[in-house]
Amino acid sequence: MAPKAIASPIPDSLYPTLSVFTLAIGLILTASFFIYEATSSRKTRSLSQELATGAVASVFLGFGSLFLLLASGVYV
Amino acid sequence: MKLNLFSFLFTFTILSSHVLSISDLILTKVDRRIDLSTQIVRTTTTLKVENAGSDIVSEILLPFPENHAIHLAYLSATLNEGRGKAKPSSGAGLPYDEVVSPKDFPNSLKVYSVTLPKGLGKGDSLTLDVLAVFTHILQPFPEKITQADIQLLLFQETAHYLTPYPVKVQSLVVKLPDARIESYTKLEKTKLQGSELKYGPYENLPRFSYLPMVIHFENNQPFAVAKELVREIEISHWGNVQITEHYNLVHGGAQSKGEFSRLDYQARPYVRGASAFRRLVAKLPPRAHSVYYRDEIGNISTSNLWGDSKKTELEIEPRYPIFGGWKTAFTIGYGLPLQDFLFGIDGKRFLNISFGSPINELVIDTLIVKVVLPEGSKDISPSVPFPVKQSHETKFSHLDIAGRPVVVLEKNNAVPEHNEHFQVYYKFNRLSMLREPLMLIFGFFFLFVASIVYMHADLSISKTSASYLAKIQWEEVQATIRQVHTIISRCLTTHDKLEASLRDLSRTGDIQGCKATRKSVDSSLKELTKELKSPVAFLQSSPQAAQILPKVEEVIAKERDLQERLMAKHSTVVDCYEKKLGGREIENRVASHQQKITALRQEIDDLMDLIDEI
Repeated sequence: MAPKAIASPIPDSLYPTLSVFTLAIGLILTASFFIYEATSSRKTRSLSQELATGAVASVFLGFGSLFLLLASGVYV
Repeated sequence: MKLNLFSFLFTFTILSSHVLSISDLILTKVDRRIDLSTQIVRTTTTLKVENAGSDIVSEILLPFPENHAIHLAYLSATLNEGRGKAKPSSGAGLPYDEVVSPKDFPNSLKVYSVTLPKGLGKGDSLTLDVLAVFTHILQPFPEKITQADIQLLLFQETAHYLTPYPVKVQSLVVKLPDARIESYTKLEKTKLQGSELKYGPYENLPRFSYLPMVIHFENNQPFAVAKELVREIEISHWGNVQITEHYNLVHGGAQSKGEFSRLDYQARPYVRGASAFRRLVAKLPPRAHSVYYRDEIGNISTSNLWGDSKKTELEIEPRYPIFGGWKTAFTIGYGLPLQDFLFGIDGKRFLNISFGSPINELVIDTLIVKVVLPEGSKDISPSVPFPVKQSHETKFSHLDIAGRPVVVLEKNNAVPEHNEHFQVYYKFNRLSMLREPLMLIFGFFFLFVASIVYMHADLSISKTSASYLAKIQWEEVQATIRQVHTIISRCLTTHDKLEASLRDLSRTGDIQGCKATRKSVDSSLKELTKELKSPVAFLQSSPQAAQILPKVEEVIAKERDLQERLMAKHSTVVDCYEKKLGGREIENRVASHQQKITALRQEIDDLMDLIDEI
């Protein structure tokens, strides 16, 4: 069996674009999370909604910041 | 005693047979070529070996005088199967080993034994190419020179090839740089042709014939010696191989003495500074990117980079010209695409990259190659084509928990010939790549959880103080008002539904559908009114809500009014349709209702905004 070249799962030319989009979505979700935190009162707040928004926002922010690191040349 | 005698006899037989096999070989032709044009001395020897004895010979001995052997950096022996010079060498080098020199050899010899792939039978012959590379063997003489002096070097060798076999014909060619030759030993059959010095041919020489000769010549080639070079190769499976090379460079030629005049050097650099070197060229692999050249102070701007599809060339200039004995330290770094160097085979991954420094004609005293593998790599095994010292380390870098495994390979006295590819095999689970993003995700998630906890936690110290209780009550009032607000908004949407049904009626004339809508709206409004009861009761009982209560009650009253008006309008319209009255007639009948409805709706909207602001 001949050796096969291994490349990265995502072509590195896509990193800047991906980081912009994932970070934008992540920041929008973060904003909605904090708006919800600030506007809802102790009685009306629902924990599951807070956790769900936080989780989705952190997934986008996590991948976004990873792609940002990769795009700026910090190969983790 | 008897046993002793037996073992003595046994040893003697082995020894004598060994010596016998040596003397059976004859070198029918020896061509030597010594290249002195750079600081690295390369000796290429072509040996035509013939077996004159009857025993099969499977190894050939290559002795080196000890003063040469300590400078030996690289040795390779290849079988030359093709006749003539069309096919210089075939395949990989033959294996060789350092052996203890046999008893009848002269002292102070280091002997290497080359193992032949198959034994040499009686009368057979073969051609062997031997390449020996020496470093630090050219002696500067004089040892100290001024800025204006040229660099003169001494080289000592034997004009006859030193070998344990008799030689029939031999010749030696020494290639010198295109510069002055101070002196050379004149023997019989010595000829100087341009920059090439020829000795021989000499015929029918006995074993170990030795004829010393010395050449004293000028050489102003860069004597760049890296005292220590640390190459760090860091693999990222996200698509990059990052190489960082820390050089500790010194000029290894004649020491500089006296003072250095920058003015003289600047005015006539090739006369007042002939022995110095000012630039180095590094040949980087193709598609190298993010190249940098810096030292402790910062970026060094005197560098040039150009490249094509086959290579990338980096020309660097140290901060000052390097004279004999002067030192400089700098760092080169560059990134390479992952797919050019990382391969997979049988479930394993391996890195395939060149071992030595990319800088041309550089002698490296201590070369340390560190291969930093991604976190989570297992079963690491390096494979290097020559002996190196191996060890393991752990390195902590971006987003690491357990640290990255590092393979450290150390080699002393490395020359460009050691720029061969080596491999580091390891096992890696694809899912381990998700470690870094997961770490970031959990970092952000922790932030969110922290803010949720902060918002949910009650941080007040006194739970019974008046202000605290008032705050709690006020929050409850706020929540109730919001509840009321939502219910009324829902009422208003239900009203809109009713209006929509009227519009539908005027368009399609579907009286039954309109009636059905009316029924459902009626019931849902009833529900909402019921829902409104308990929050309103709470607001009426709460003292904190005293200020806002009138507004809330006003809204509720107005809403009820609006509701009634709407119902009346709806009934009228439906009635008219049933009586099949004209459009104008209907309009006249509902006009008064309509005016009131619009006014009420406006008032309610204003009040709702007011409540919402609280």
